[in-house]
This record gives sequence, structure tokens and C-alpha cells, in this order.
Amino acid sequence: MNNKFDALKDDDSGDHDQDQGSPKDSEKEKTEDEDKEQNISKKKMVVPGAGEHPLQYNYTFWYSRRTPGRPASTQSYEQNIKQIGSFASVEQFWRFYSHMIRPGDLTGHSDFHLFKEGIKPMWEDDANKMGGKWIIRLRKGLASRCWENLILAMLGEQFMVGEEICGAVVSVRFQEDIISIWNKTASDQATTARIRDTLRRVLNLPPNTIMEYKTHTDSIKYQHHNRIRLDYFAFRL
Amino acid sequence: MIGSVLFYALYPLSRYLISRASKASKKDLPPEVVNGTAVWDGGAVTTRKFTQSQTTLLDQWLSPSSGTKGETKERMKEPSPEEEDHMRPDTDKEQLMAVLHEEAQDEAASKTSEVQPAVMEQEAETRNGPQQDKVEAPKQEEKEITFQNTEGGSIFPNEDINPEQELRAHLECLQTDDSTQPPQTTCPVQKKVAIPSLEESVTLAEPSIQETTSPVWEQTQIPSIEESITPAEFTAEVTECWDEYIAPAADEMHCGESSNLIFTSLLSDTRLKLSGEHAMQTGWHFPAGPGLAEEVQCLLGQFPAVSYYPPIELTVPFEVMWRVWVEVDESASAALIPLPFTKPWMDFTVMSYNILAQDLLEANQELYIHCPLEVLDWSYRCSLLLEEIRKWAPDILCLQEVQENHYHEQLFPFLSQMGYTCVYKRRTGTKTDGCATCYRSSCFSEISVTTLEFFRPETELLDRHNVGIVVLLQPVVTRGSEVKAKGPPLCVANTHLLFNPRRGDVKLAQLAIMLAEIDSVVKSCKAKGEHCNLILCGDFNTVPHMPLYQLITTGELYFQGLPAWMISGQEDMSHRVYGHRLFAPLWPSCLGITDNCQYTTAKETFESQSQKPGKYQYSHDFLLQLRFCPATCVRPLDLELIPGVTDNTPDASRENQPYDKSFRPTISHQLDLESVYTHILPGSGNPEVTTLHSEVGATVDYIFYTPRRYHLTADQKGQWHAGPPSPKLHHWGVFEPHGATSSPKSPHPPGGLLCSRRKAPLHPSALLHPHPPAPRLSPAPSTQWPSASLLLLLLLLLHQEDQLSSGTQNVLTDALDLFLLVNLLAGLSRFPQQMANS
Repeated sequence: MNNKFDALKDDDSGDHDQDQGSPKDSEKEKTEDEDKEQNISKKKMVVPGAGEHPLQYNYTFWYSRRTPGRPASTQSYEQNIKQIGSFASVEQFWRFYSHMIRPGDLTGHSDFHLFKEGIKPMWEDDANKMGGKWIIRLRKGLASRCWENLILAMLGEQFMVGEEICGAVVSVRFQEDIISIWNKTASDQATTARIRDTLRRVLNLPPNTIMEYKTHTDSIKYQHHNRIRLDYFAFRL
Repeated sequence: MIGSVLFYALYPLSRYLISRASKASKKDLPPEVVNGTAVWDGGAVTTRKFTQSQTTLLDQWLSPSSGTKGETKERMKEPSPEEEDHMRPDTDKEQLMAVLHEEAQDEAASKTSEVQPAVMEQEAETRNGPQQDKVEAPKQEEKEITFQNTEGGSIFPNEDINPEQELRAHLECLQTDDSTQPPQTTCPVQKKVAIPSLEESVTLAEPSIQETTSPVWEQTQIPSIEESITPAEFTAEVTECWDEYIAPAADEMHCGESSNLIFTSLLSDTRLKLSGEHAMQTGWHFPAGPGLAEEVQCLLGQFPAVSYYPPIELTVPFEVMWRVWVEVDESASAALIPLPFTKPWMDFTVMSYNILAQDLLEANQELYIHCPLEVLDWSYRCSLLLEEIRKWAPDILCLQEVQENHYHEQLFPFLSQMGYTCVYKRRTGTKTDGCATCYRSSCFSEISVTTLEFFRPETELLDRHNVGIVVLLQPVVTRGSEVKAKGPPLCVANTHLLFNPRRGDVKLAQLAIMLAEIDSVVKSCKAKGEHCNLILCGDFNTVPHMPLYQLITTGELYFQGLPAWMISGQEDMSHRVYGHRLFAPLWPSCLGITDNCQYTTAKETFESQSQKPGKYQYSHDFLLQLRFCPATCVRPLDLELIPGVTDNTPDASRENQPYDKSFRPTISHQLDLESVYTHILPGSGNPEVTTLHSEVGATVDYIFYTPRRYHLTADQKGQWHAGPPSPKLHHWGVFEPHGATSSPKSPHPPGGLLCSRRKAPLHPSALLHPHPPAPRLSPAPSTQWPSASLLLLLLLLLHQEDQLSSGTQNVLTDALDLFLLVNLLAGLSRFPQQMANS
């Protein structure tokens, strides 16, 4: 598999229920960013097939899984996140999606990521570093449907926030599942509010559903303080 | 016979219990109770359906549904009659007794010998049964068994229902009753049903049963016993035959055992979902209108065919009105409001007429037994029909139930000779009739024609063979062969929806197809910059103000949990506690129609894309449509096989179901439609009737149109002024003859739209007393009335679009800029004579 994110690091020590939608920060990663970008740019851009329905943007599916035991080295991240494939049309999307297991049926500590082609599902990506994400925690049993509704809305350009959307993540955890959608500019409140409202609509969320917005800089800052983060959110809720 | 014995044994006992209960509550028996008892004394078999089924079912399920009553799981698995008996808590004894009492009467009345072996058999079982610990007398047990027997008849012939939904509805009732019923309830039947009119109808029914003079009744009584179907159910089947015969096939007739098993196995699941739902015992209400802000109330017992046996009330004379053109009081309104238009640009008349296909007439002769044979003859009826059309010569003629051979042999030659262009669409399936839309070639030129088939083999819901026609016309003024002027396009939609009173869900889906097609026509006009006026007419097999009607006129309907029969409201089937209810999604996304009643086709998507170049936007439904197209089932070459992650196999049958749930529990449409008729007779307040045969007299035929509307604004003096007409609005209105409320100074709520007309005036088609006519008096068809339905006719005035912008400012618009004449035929005038003769 190409696009090895050797810099990805499993940092969710002691907090398996926190969303781990993104590979976490690492000093080393930055030094290796250039390599990866070269990798991506070398890859041929996908194009819609004849007669297919083109998407506004090309997207890439990613899959990550926390390996059992404690990954100690950066090498182990090569197995932690994989690029599944890229697509440029509705038909190509379904071709991938139909052959993928639904998130609700995934085992273990796994994530699907769907990001615009060229944007890595990492906080540190240029497209993400000023951004943030809306997080919705779901009780078990809802992830498959919500994930599908979420990505269909994203692919169908239902969020109407221009180029702000970066991607979406579904994280399968022990007691709950988490879906999140990432955007470029965390400080753009009009955009984040519109994303939130669209989310509510497309996911058919009950009005009392709790949604958190978290900036990636906060995520980076607190990544080693998961306990603190938990308390923080518990307070906010 | 056993039943009668039991009856006599039990009756005193129940009386005793009732009186004891009343003492306990330190109250005398309310008079209603006495009445109720008297009614039941009659032993009317049919009346059982109304009250007893609810009560007994409630009783039956009371125990298994609530775990707190202390039954064992074993019992829940096998709710055999004897167990039911013992499962009742003592507090329910009075209720039980009442039920038993009624049951005994029913048995006595029907005196069916076939039931008896079963009774004996189960009785024996009961005696051997292990649970005889409670104190009911043996005779009561027998009662219980009897009750179970009859119960089987009433439960299982239900239609293709999701048992879970039925059960849910059922349990709702249970919980409500269980918790709210006060201990002093001496007559649970009355309390629970709480239909004021029930007693009345029951009482009315009684004589008819005793006399057995009603032919309908005679027909139904015997088979109902043989098949152990309750009479009401059987009659339902008969009724359906009229338009859409559905054989009581296996899918509609659950067998008893399996149903029981299903219900019990679902108990635990469904109980959880019940709490949020409201048991609607005394009536129904559902939200409708823009933003669902409007609450529609309908009391039980207000349906035209509240029962399957017509209430006989011969002493009440029919109210008959002349069907003449009603002219608007021009002077009065002109004084109030200067008409903004000098002259209408064009006027035209629209007629909608269900002409009763001869094949359907002959297939359902029981509905017309009151008619002399000669008036049922097609050649006779045909000559009358053609004469009516010739007399009224509408500019647009929408016919329903046009038999194909009659269309080709008689109607089409006649109509083309009169200068009509005709579009005919026969129903799919084996039925020989269809719809026809005809228009005067001299007034309209055709822009497009679409015929719609509502039968969609790929959609389970849409399995009925009804059709519709949507025609887009261009009004023209011609002189000689030269076209002098063209008006804004006019979309004329004509349909005949499914008759089956129980399948409101099918009706809604059929209507949605119709509305989606109209919507696309309107959009195609809009794309050309033209504003399209609408006429939607036909036989909707729906009673005014019921959910389907509300959807058309208010544009929105919240259907979640509504019983299917209520959608059309043709008959009150609230006694069918197992009745099918509606839940989202109503139809699958593969139908290609959204819950906004609009198409979700690729074509449309690309049209919208072409408006926004470079933007690829797709709706959820559209994306789902492409999900299992052939290309997407091929595994991508570059997809690495990761076990448990990318080794899924695409499976349309498995995945389509749970995932296309974007359908809201609300359906809506964007068309502005209003009924020409108000459905209430001015003055008397009695309902209008457009169809009349031996079982039903009701309004089911409609003409809807896009009324002209204005935005209102208030100036500083509080005077209301019409703003410029909203672009949606149209150039028609209806003139109201009795415009008492039309004072221009009357305050109106600020904002919003004001209808330029008041609710339709008029006069109905036929004005009849609210009670359906007795079979023998049913007037249609008759010597003057060739069909079972009345034709609806209206005159619309069309103004030039651009005239609107001039001169309408500052004009109060509670008044009409238009005249609408709705009209009916003179045929009714001879009605009283016929009745007098009979």
C-alpha cells in the first residue's frame, strides 16, 4: 500500500473512547510530510468514467485501526492507516463503498476517513491545521446509517459552505461510535454553524443531540491530556 | 343455542356486577349505560364490531402487554382462551363481565351452529386446563371461549399489515385505558369508544337487522357466519369490489395461530415504542398545512359511511337543490371593490365527471339494485351522458371511468365531432376503464401530454392499476385559422385514485406521482419564464378535509402513525384496532419521488446543474438511486482486500432497506391548490355530495385549481391593501354569492397571503342530507342521472398575465377579481319525484 504515514502515532493511551478520528501529532511527521506529498502527487488523479456522474471534488477513502498491544514505533503506523482508494464520480464512490464493510460491522478500534483527495486525515495537514471538526457521539447501532447520510451529504455538496469541508471520519469505539466532519477554518463561525445545521438535518438528529465543535489546535494541545479533555467536555456538556 | 343459554345465564350476573360497581362509586347508572344495554339487547351482530372489538381486544391484550400483571412467560407465548380468562386482574372484572355479556348476546343473535363444535372443543380444553385457580364460574369460561372464536374472525382478515404496527396501536390503547380508566367505570364499552354518534348509529342499525329488509344486509349476513368473518368485515370486501376488487388473498388473511405467535413475540419490542404515541380514542387529529401549523380534528362518526350498513332514517327528507349556475352578485362586490381588470381575457369552463364504467357497474350490481334495470343499460346511460356534455359543452372535460370500448365507439366520435381533442388513458391491469381529458381545439393548443400509470411493479406499495393524465395546454384565441393571442399555459391533471377505503397509503403514493408530474410540468414552464396555472380534478375517492385532501389543499401532511383508512376517510374503520398505520418512508426512493412530491431524476439533477455550471450537487435520494447500478457492483481493481474491512459484497436486497430512510414523516408539495367547492352547503351546513349509490353518499370528486392570491399590506391607518400579486399567483378566483365577511375593513392577520376569494361558494353538486341515503332511495344512476357521480363544472376567468401589474395596487382584495361559477346540472331537479315514487 502506498502513502505510508509512518509518522502517525497512536497516542490514545488510556482513553479508548476518545475520538481518534485522526492520526495524531508527531514531531517526526512534519519532517516527513514532504515525502508523503510527493507520493500523492505522483499518483494519477482519478477522473469520472464516461457517462458517470462527476463529483464536485475527488475524494479518498482511508481506513485506520489501532493495532492490538501498544504500538511503540512509527513503523507500526504503516499498518494503522491505509488508503483504500480514490474516486471522482458517484458511481466510483458506490463501487468502493459497496465493497466496504459498514462501520457498524467493523470490529475493534477502527476508523473510516473520507477526505478530499490531497487532504490527509491529519490535524497537521495544511488544509486542516487552521480547522476543526464537529463531533457527534452515537450510541451503538447508529453509526452505519449516520455515516452514510453524512458522506452522501458531503459528496452531494449539501453543506453549501464552498470549499470549507475537508472530510469526514467515523470512529468505531468500545461503547460508542463517533462521527465527525472536518472543515478548514475553525474561526469561521458562519460556516461552522451552517455545517452544524446541515448535519442535524441530514442525520435526522433529535434536537437534543449533543454536538461538539473542536478545533484541531485544541486537539493537538490536549492530546497528551486526555483526562483533562474529558473533564473539560464533561463540564461543557 | 348454547350462546343464548349462556346469554340468559350471564345477563343477570353482569347486571349484578354493574349495579355493584355503581354502588361502589355512589352514583346511579348514567343513562347512557342504560341505553347501551338496551342496544346490546338487540343482539345486532354487526354492531359488535364497533364497540366490542375494541373492548375485547383491549381485554385480550391487557394482560400479556403489561408484565406487571403477573403472568408467566409461558402464557404470553400461548394466549389460549382459558388463559386469557384467568389472566385478568380482579379489578377488570366488571369490564370483563360487560364484554362477556355482549358476547353472549352476539352469540345468541347469530345462532350459528358452526361455532358450537369449536366452543365445545375449547370448552373441554378449558376444563382440562391447568389454570383454574381463579374464581370465574365455568360458564364464564365458556363465554370467554366464545369471545375468542368470534375474535378470530375479526382480527385476522385484516389487510396486509405489519403486525407490529397493529400491535403497537393496540397496546397504546391498552396503556391509556389501563392507566386512565377510573374505577367507577360502569360501562367500559362506552367509555372506551366514546363516540357520541355511535349509539345513534347502532340504534339505527337495529331495525334494519331485525327486519332484514335491506338487501345488502341479507347478502352479507349469511356468508359472514359461514366464513366466521364478522359481517362488517365481509361487507368491506364487498365494498371494495366496486372499484378495485381485491381478493381476500392469503396476504390479507393471516391465519389465527401465526398471528398470535407474531403478536406475542413482538410484545416486548413494541411496548417500548408505545409510550410516546397518543391513543386516539375519541377522534383523530393530524397536523397539516404550511409548517404543519394547522391541526385538523375529525371526530369519529363523522365519516360518510360510518358503518357498512346505511343508517335508515327515512323520515328525513333529502335536501335537493337545483343544480344551476350560480351567478355572483356582481353589483355588491363591484361596489365594494373596483375590479382591477377591465375584462377577462378569456373564460372557460371545466367539467369533471365520473361517468361510471359499465363493466364496473355490472361487476358491482349490488350497489345499484335500487335502480330500475333500464337506467343501468349502457346505451341509455350513454345517450344521457352525451346529452349532458352537449348541453354544458365545457371547454375542458375530464372524465373518469371511461370504458375503453365505449370511448372508441361512442365518446370519442361524439367529442371529436364537437370539436374536442381527446387524450385517453386506460387503466393498466384487467380493468377496462380509464380516464379521458378532452379540450376544445379552438380554445387550447397542446404543449405536452403525459399519461401516468400508478402501477409500479418494482414498488410493492404501488400495486394497483390506476392512471392519470397530465396535459399542458396553451390557451389561444383564434380567428379563423389564425392565432390571435396566447395565454399563459394551463396544466390540466385528471385522475381517478384507488377506491379501496383501507389503502390510504396507496392513495397517497398515487397522488404523489400525480403531483410530481404536475410539478415537473410547472418547472418546465418556469424554465421558459412562463407561469403555469393548474387544474387538478377527478375522482380522488377521498372525503373532504381528510388527510389526503389536506395534503392537496394545504401542501403538507404529517402522516406518521395515521391509520391507513383515515387518509381518505371514506369509511370509519376505527373499530379495526389492528388497522394498518402509516410510517415513514411511505414509498421507497427507487420510485424517484421525494417526500416533497417531486421527481428525483437524473434528468432533473442535470437540469439544475446546467443552471449552476461547475457545481455538482446531488440529493441523498439521487445518490441512492445510483447505488446498485451495474457499474457500481464491480469491485474496483485497486481496492486492496482487507478482511473485515473491504470484503463486503454489494447486495441490493439487503442494503436498500435499512439505509434509505431519509424520508420524513411528512409529505408536502409546492403547488398552490384549492378546492372549488367548500363541501358544505350554504345555509343548511349539510355536506355536499358528489357521488351516491346504495352505500355511500359523499364528496369524492373534486376540482382543485390555483387561486389568485395577493400579498396584503397594511398602511398606517390599518387599512389593508393588496400588494403586487405574488409571482406564484394566478388569475382566477371564485366569486362568492353570500359574501358576508368580505368587508374590506375587516382586519386580517398581518402578513401572509390573503385569498382573493372566500372559501368556495357553492353549491354542491347534490345536496343531500348528511346521512347516506337508504339503498332503495339511492338516486343514482337514474333516469335523469346517468352516472353514480355528479359532474362538477366550473367557469374560470383567465386574465392576461401582464395586466396584473397595472392597477392592482392599493386595491383591497378581499374581493374578487374573478368570477367563478361552479355549476351543476339540472338533473337533480327531478330527484324528488323519483323519491316520491319509491
